[in-house]
Amino acid sequence: MNKMVKITIDGKTIDAEEGANLLQVARDNGFDIPGLCYYDKVSPTGACRLCLVKIKEQKGLIPSCTVKVSEGLNVTAFDEELEDVRRTIVELLISEHKLGCMTCDTASECALEDLAYRYNVTVDNLPFPVKTKYESIDDSSPVLAYDPNKCIVCGRCVKACYEIQGKGIIDFIGRGIETKIAPDLGVDWKNSACDGCGECIQACPVGALFEIPSVGKARKWEVEKIETICPYCGVGCRIEVEKKDNEIVRINGVDDGPANNGRLCVKGRFGYEYEMSNKRLRTPLIKENGKFREASWDEALTLTARKFSEIKKNYGGNSIAGLSSARCTNEENYIFQKFMRAVIGTNNVDHCARLCHASTVAGLARAFGSGAMTNSIRELEFADCILVTGSNTTETHPVIATYIKNAVLNHGAKLIVADPRKIDLVKYATLWLRQKNGTDVAWLNGIMNVILNENLHDKEFIKNRTEGFDEFRMVVENYTPERVEKITGVPKEKIIEAARIYGTAKNASIVFSMGITQHTTGTDNVLSTANLALLTGNVGKLYSGVNPLRGQNNVQGACDLGALPNVYSGYQKVTDPDIKKKFEEKWKVALDDKVGLSVVEMMNEAHKGNVKAMYIMGENPMVSDPNLNHVEEALKNLDFLVVQDIFLTETAQLADVVFPAYSSFEKSGTFTNTERRIQLLNPVLKAPEGAKEDWEIVQELALKMGYEMQYNNQSDIMEEIADVTPIYGGIHFYRLGKDGLQWPCKDENDPGTLFLHKGKFSRGLGHFSPVDYIPPAELPDKEYPYILSTGRILYHYHTGTMSRKVSVLNEYEPGPYAEISPELAAKLNLKDGEEVRITSRRGAIVTKARITARVAPDSVFIPFHFAEAAANRLTNDALDPIAKIPELKVAACKVEKM
Amino acid sequence: MKIDTILSKYEPKSENLIQILHDIQDHTEGNYLKEEDLEKVADYLKIPKSRVNGVVEFYSMFSKKPRGKYVIRLCKSPPCFVKGAFNMLDELKSQLEIDVNETTKDGLFTIETTSCLGVCDEAPVMSINNKIYGKLDSAKIKKIIENYRKGKSEI
Amino acid sequence: MKNEAKYENKIVLSNVGNIDPTNINDYIETRGYEAAKKIVSNEYTPLNVIDIIKNSGLRGRGGAGFPTGAKWEFTAKEKADKKFIVCNADEGEPGTFKDRLILEGDPHRILEGMIIAGYAVGAQKGFIYIRGEYSTAIERITNAIKDAYEKHYLGNSILGSSFNFDIEIKKGAGSYVCGEETSLIESIEGKRGNPRIKPPYPGQKGLWNYPTVVNNVETIANVAPILLNGADWFKSFGTEKSPGTKIFTLIGNVKNPGVVELPFGITLREIIFGFGGGISNDRKLKAIHLGGASGAVYDGSILDVPLDYDALKEKEGMLGSGAVLVMDEETDMRKYLKNVLEFFKHESCGQCVPCRIGTARLCEMADDIIEKGGKEVNIEYMKHLTDVMFKSSLCPLGQSVIMPVKSIFKYFNNEF
Repeated sequence: MNKMVKITIDGKTIDAEEGANLLQVARDNGFDIPGLCYYDKVSPTGACRLCLVKIKEQKGLIPSCTVKVSEGLNVTAFDEELEDVRRTIVELLISEHKLGCMTCDTASECALEDLAYRYNVTVDNLPFPVKTKYESIDDSSPVLAYDPNKCIVCGRCVKACYEIQGKGIIDFIGRGIETKIAPDLGVDWKNSACDGCGECIQACPVGALFEIPSVGKARKWEVEKIETICPYCGVGCRIEVEKKDNEIVRINGVDDGPANNGRLCVKGRFGYEYEMSNKRLRTPLIKENGKFREASWDEALTLTARKFSEIKKNYGGNSIAGLSSARCTNEENYIFQKFMRAVIGTNNVDHCARLCHASTVAGLARAFGSGAMTNSIRELEFADCILVTGSNTTETHPVIATYIKNAVLNHGAKLIVADPRKIDLVKYATLWLRQKNGTDVAWLNGIMNVILNENLHDKEFIKNRTEGFDEFRMVVENYTPERVEKITGVPKEKIIEAARIYGTAKNASIVFSMGITQHTTGTDNVLSTANLALLTGNVGKLYSGVNPLRGQNNVQGACDLGALPNVYSGYQKVTDPDIKKKFEEKWKVALDDKVGLSVVEMMNEAHKGNVKAMYIMGENPMVSDPNLNHVEEALKNLDFLVVQDIFLTETAQLADVVFPAYSSFEKSGTFTNTERRIQLLNPVLKAPEGAKEDWEIVQELALKMGYEMQYNNQSDIMEEIADVTPIYGGIHFYRLGKDGLQWPCKDENDPGTLFLHKGKFSRGLGHFSPVDYIPPAELPDKEYPYILSTGRILYHYHTGTMSRKVSVLNEYEPGPYAEISPELAAKLNLKDGEEVRITSRRGAIVTKARITARVAPDSVFIPFHFAEAAANRLTNDALDPIAKIPELKVAACKVEKM
Repeated sequence: MKIDTILSKYEPKSENLIQILHDIQDHTEGNYLKEEDLEKVADYLKIPKSRVNGVVEFYSMFSKKPRGKYVIRLCKSPPCFVKGAFNMLDELKSQLEIDVNETTKDGLFTIETTSCLGVCDEAPVMSINNKIYGKLDSAKIKKIIENYRKGKSEI
Repeated sequence: MKNEAKYENKIVLSNVGNIDPTNINDYIETRGYEAAKKIVSNEYTPLNVIDIIKNSGLRGRGGAGFPTGAKWEFTAKEKADKKFIVCNADEGEPGTFKDRLILEGDPHRILEGMIIAGYAVGAQKGFIYIRGEYSTAIERITNAIKDAYEKHYLGNSILGSSFNFDIEIKKGAGSYVCGEETSLIESIEGKRGNPRIKPPYPGQKGLWNYPTVVNNVETIANVAPILLNGADWFKSFGTEKSPGTKIFTLIGNVKNPGVVELPFGITLREIIFGFGGGISNDRKLKAIHLGGASGAVYDGSILDVPLDYDALKEKEGMLGSGAVLVMDEETDMRKYLKNVLEFFKHESCGQCVPCRIGTARLCEMADDIIEKGGKEVNIEYMKHLTDVMFKSSLCPLGQSVIMPVKSIFKYFNNEF
């Protein structure tokens, strides 16, 4: 905080921070100076001229939004002359503004409307005739429309798109009175690169930019506004939901949301239609003779309890396995693993984190002692160097990508992207390394080789804070840039340049995601990123660190709360006798001390008939898991399958019993986002009658099975979590407020942890691991000559259960496709949009070809969201030996034109 | 000249945008800027397409619409106005049978109006491509147009 | 132009028409680059140079009349990795073509002036921003720069010294507002020519936020002569507060339109009836629009006011660019008002509300005056609007609409 100074506004003395924005300070102190172009999240424009003030000893009228507060400023905010100027400006604006207030969705929250009222300006009392010509509205985008007749050309949208979202889709067009805004080359919104995040709508002070799906749903004054957390990805954006009756009208980003700072992506803002879908499950289902019938809760719970008890009695607890859910709350995950461990008597509990970041948890725990993002999301904006690898951040964590773009565009940071695909971030990068899939250990070792050779490593840090450096150094010395070029295909010059950029940065941050983790060498890859940070001392301090981006809204929490086969909540090992004893005492039951089965292992054991029953809460392995044909056989081979979800998913269709659950718009409880922040949900809507909260279902099942479980609500559960989980020791609902708390948070007085490993690593010393390059499990050969990798796209989420029930998202991306390079397309004589059959050793799918230079010439990329052409029918379920994560990012395939 | 050849003359810095646009427009048949070329410029300079478009839209010398082989720019600023520029505009319109910002069917002429060309001592003034014609009157305009039609730009 | 010799005192235009502008040696023969050579070889410190310019009393010839020496001193004192000199050759003020004549007729004079300015403020790079319509000027300057590099008058270690100075040309693309220094800077950066908020002034944060001196062509053309002949010599021309000469462009309904360089203090009567030979077709003088579109429009009562930067302020006008547009008795001032307002509307950048919408509404009201007569239009509101635009517009474009509008209503009230 800067020093405080005294200024005077209209005779009143005010203490203000030096350098603060004068308009903001004035408004904060009750001086309601008007202004339309001022938007506190972007640089001041000073163009609407409404916030003009007089400053003693300065010439003329000065736009207060462009003035920084300094000692002794003597400001006149209101006098007759200023108000006269303001009134005239409002008259001019009204003369150019289509007064469609009667049908405008912004009416009553419109900044111009307020000013017209304040200065008593109407079209009828203007001192000149109004000769407005109407221009057509551009409503070609699926989500947003632009009405140029309402546009006041304040430029807030232009700055919001560039300075906040880092996209720069919108700019001014025309000149003088013809000035308006337009996307890209000005054709229309549909043909632009606009991805529908709606930041511009949120920035628009009038109704010129508005949400198409909200049109006509409610007047602003009819809606109730409730804040909660976005149900989609791991960023954990805080959202404000506007609802009328029991329907969502609109979603906005919350300006002081700790992770998102008001920002959202297209899914967060527009992806809510599923919530009102008539396909929601409303009653338990029991399958009889291959067909579902509706059943009462009592019947379905009784049946399930009986079946689980029988199987447990006949085959032991370890013949049952459970999949918990990264979509459910922390409390529900805790209860689920407790149910599996205490009631069923098995550690066979896992969830889809196995498929995304198991190697992160394993690798970073080994290197640092904690398997989570070392830093907070918003620190990224202030790093000097960001190395992004294996993360198509723009599409998978759109709001995090905006901070990376801010760092580059607004603060001059250097971005290095290492990715086989030419992802969006490449546009922002100083350097792009296009490595061959699955060669990450090699190029990372190469960079470290150069750093050591050029003496760019942090000797002090290595000496004081780490161990294992010498063994590590011996391995890295073999990875000369020349050798690395041969393995990875990345020119040695680029390896050297990357080493210099990263090695000389003051604050360097590594961002990675599934491109690093989903390999048979996933743990090795993660260890290599950790090595790089340790080598240069870029961990344990603000803005520098190793930051795995977690996928699902609560995947971090599901891991934290022990939905893993080897640990209880807070990563407390099931094999540790003291820990086991603690939980036995707490849960009043004997527990198993053997590590349970992981996701892929469960499927394998089910296939073999060793796992007889499964309980799946809010997961959809029939789309998300590798080698789907195998998964399908495994699930069909079970004696008894229970699924609880909000929709009848591909997996639920195979179940014997289905329980209808609440969605996160209907729940309380907490999610932990990717930066370890525990945030409170607020129930926004009433759940469909007949559904129950996931924790309640589990509790009732436990009771039916004779285990005493009596929580009144999720807060009760969190009290128990805090009691048994040191890193959540200080987490209580009443402490969470709007900002939540970041773990580790050990006790009531702990404010939480912005970044990890300050002064000391969680495990004591940072551990260097010597890591050698090992090729992927399956490489292209004559029969399967191309490399297949899979991933996500912006417009859909995971298995599509939610996003594919949202019509505007489907409008952007209606169905499955495969990215195919122009080179491969030419070879196959393939045109864009034509059908191709893609085959691997495990299966085949038919999908549409999308010809794009984003993929390397010999590679194919398929988004995995689409069940009808599920990429995971092709993927390899070969596992990383340590983390048991399958190699979803590399498989060999062949491509044929249909 | 090919767009890539033009681009290669300039360092890929955004400050060169206006110079590049001039160069491309000067070398494009129809005196205009094509969408696909603007996309290439944005890629080359690593700036948003919207910024390229915003610049094209701001400066009156740039056009996104194809224009005639000869772009006639008649000055309508006060000095030429005083000397009867608007009569000259009517003269041009009737001789070419087009309105302002239109192109003759044969693709030869486009009429535009412009702000001061800086040859005010010869007002009223127009330019055809880069050549200035001053002290205009009806007869002179007729003669100039005729000569251009015949392929002679000198009178 | 037979009266030329009698009236003219040439500093800036001394070479124009007398040397071959495409031949650098012609310029050198008129003591060209002598001042620059003397200065960069350390005969003068940067401070000396600034002192001489300050002493000479040279004021910016772009229109505002800001003291050039003070401007340089301001930037010279800034500490920065880089500084820039920008020559504003975006001559767009209607009725003005003095800069074009200098650029076309004596291009090396500009290069030399920029070198000296660069040395004085500590800049090693200069830009000449020329409006895109000036194709001959662009060609001449481009070739002059080439020739200067060949002679090592530009580049590294120029003129046998250790001083480095580069000059690059940037073409405009059709925008009047780019003559405003901050719009011009935006345009050099390859952006829309939207003016910036001042402060910070270009002298502190200009091109790419580095300290930047922006000088008009005519201003820069005065620099080498001043350093060659001394401040006192320069002050022997013109008036005390506006020393030197001014180039006037005499146009409109006069017998001998053209360009003339005269000392400050001259009257419009001398210019129009002396140099210009009086009103063409022997009609009567009705109006004089002085200083370009953004200047005031007077009737004959202005004829005997000695012209300098300050005298016209009292007359609610400005000398501006030195354009003298003469209108005879046949001129319809209502239509003229509309034409001037159309100009502003067309050239408004559209960024700030008062100028963007104000110019449009004023145009429409002027239209209504022509169609329906002045009684049907709220002329008081038009005046009020220009007042508000003067007080609240972001840049001088919107701020200056008041001058032509109010003066037309004042001096030609009977036509409305």
